[in-house]
Amino acid sequence: MTFSLTLGALVSLICGLDRVAILQMMISRPIVAAPLTALFLGEPLVGLQIGVMVELLWLARLPVGAAVPPDDTQVAIASSVLAIVLGQIMDASGTELLLLCLFVAVPLGKFGQYFDRYARQYNVRLVKQVSAALSRGSFLTAEGQHLRGLVSFSLSSLGTYAVIILGGWFIIPILWPYVQQPLSYSSSWMQLAFPLVGITVILGTINVSRAITLFCAAFCMSFLLMWLV
Amino acid sequence: MVISWRTRLHIWFRLLLLQASWNFETLQGIGFFYALLPGLKKLYGKEDLPEVSLKYIGYFNTHVYFAPLVAGAVLRLEEERVSGTVVPEVEIDDFKEMVAAPYAAIGDAFFWGGLRPLAAGVALFFAVKGILWAPLIFILLYNIVPTWIRTVFFSRGYYQGLKSVEFIQRHKLPDLAIHTKEAAVVVLGGLSAFMVFAQLTQHQLPSWLGLLTLIPMVMLGLVARKGFSTLLLVIITVSTIFLLGLFWADVIQLITF
Repeated sequence: MTFSLTLGALVSLICGLDRVAILQMMISRPIVAAPLTALFLGEPLVGLQIGVMVELLWLARLPVGAAVPPDDTQVAIASSVLAIVLGQIMDASGTELLLLCLFVAVPLGKFGQYFDRYARQYNVRLVKQVSAALSRGSFLTAEGQHLRGLVSFSLSSLGTYAVIILGGWFIIPILWPYVQQPLSYSSSWMQLAFPLVGITVILGTINVSRAITLFCAAFCMSFLLMWLV
Repeated sequence: MVISWRTRLHIWFRLLLLQASWNFETLQGIGFFYALLPGLKKLYGKEDLPEVSLKYIGYFNTHVYFAPLVAGAVLRLEEERVSGTVVPEVEIDDFKEMVAAPYAAIGDAFFWGGLRPLAAGVALFFAVKGILWAPLIFILLYNIVPTWIRTVFFSRGYYQGLKSVEFIQRHKLPDLAIHTKEAAVVVLGGLSAFMVFAQLTQHQLPSWLGLLTLIPMVMLGLVARKGFSTLLLVIITVSTIFLLGLFWADVIQLITF
């Protein structure tokens, strides 16, 4: 269990850094981060299911300028870890458990936004330190201060991961016996609802004229094709 | 004085860390200085370097994939300033300020608003089918263009300097951003239909019911346009499905009883 949580934290750290601080190769996207975490924990399909549900949710929230979108990376990673580890402990599995993990993780993911904002605020003090180092002619110190910013972003990612894991660890085992049966009546429909809600948000916010017309045409065309074939 | 390809490669790699110290005061300012430092060290002596460097740590913000283009052009302008062979038409600070915001707007629209949903939509087709390669497909599909832009545009920026702006204008990226967004909307429409159809088939329900999905989807889209948060929409949708599920289970129980 400790090993799984640590492994999850490691993935959370690497993917969290890819989100803003380094590379931006999009390994931080839920569709990548969740299956990657789950692959390390031995159940990649769990991660894939969670990735599908979370990927489109906040895709419309663009990291433009100083805007900080909710931390879907940590939501996806922590949900995968919770679903796999708690599933083993409680001897539970299935879509219902994944959904419960997501229901707990999605609101807690809001903390990621606060932590990320705090990290960026904290990095403001680096400006003065770099300026002072440059005035002294100490370039190595100035470069080091820039890299120190990585620590803030790492702590922000790990903090969000820890909050979701701790929250889920306390809440999920209490709720599970009560919601397992009721969730089973509608779990597959809820699983479908997550990506569809994400798509509607993209549709509502994407800056394309006639987006709804295009979407409806593509939907009907594809649907009719599948129906006929 | 010419900056060697080794130094330029060094700068290119450093640009991958552009946002390591992102902050609310100077945004990417320190990162831009950090990336350019190997080049500045080649151009300036120990006496001038601190003063030049201090100019670079100020406010700077552009799209992360377009930063290499700006960095390349700035390097060229610095070279011209130091050699004194060409009188730069604009000050380097002014140039940075002039191009950073438009490049950021183009990049945000193209990459975040268009390419990312498009690549995600395509990868999700595979993911929904349970194909474990879906994440890799997403990574490959998405990263081709940014890697090309980061590499080729950096080189263009360096070789063309101020004229790199014309290079961007020639590529008509804002138009491309709109077309990519339209393609993303079409792919997401197909993806929605695919998921709904699969769900109905799994539950052995009549397929035509799927067309009704468009009604709540368009309604939610309009609600999202009004500024409602995704979290709220998720809570409303999931609660409704949960309650309907409970209600339906009770109905079935009554019928069978």
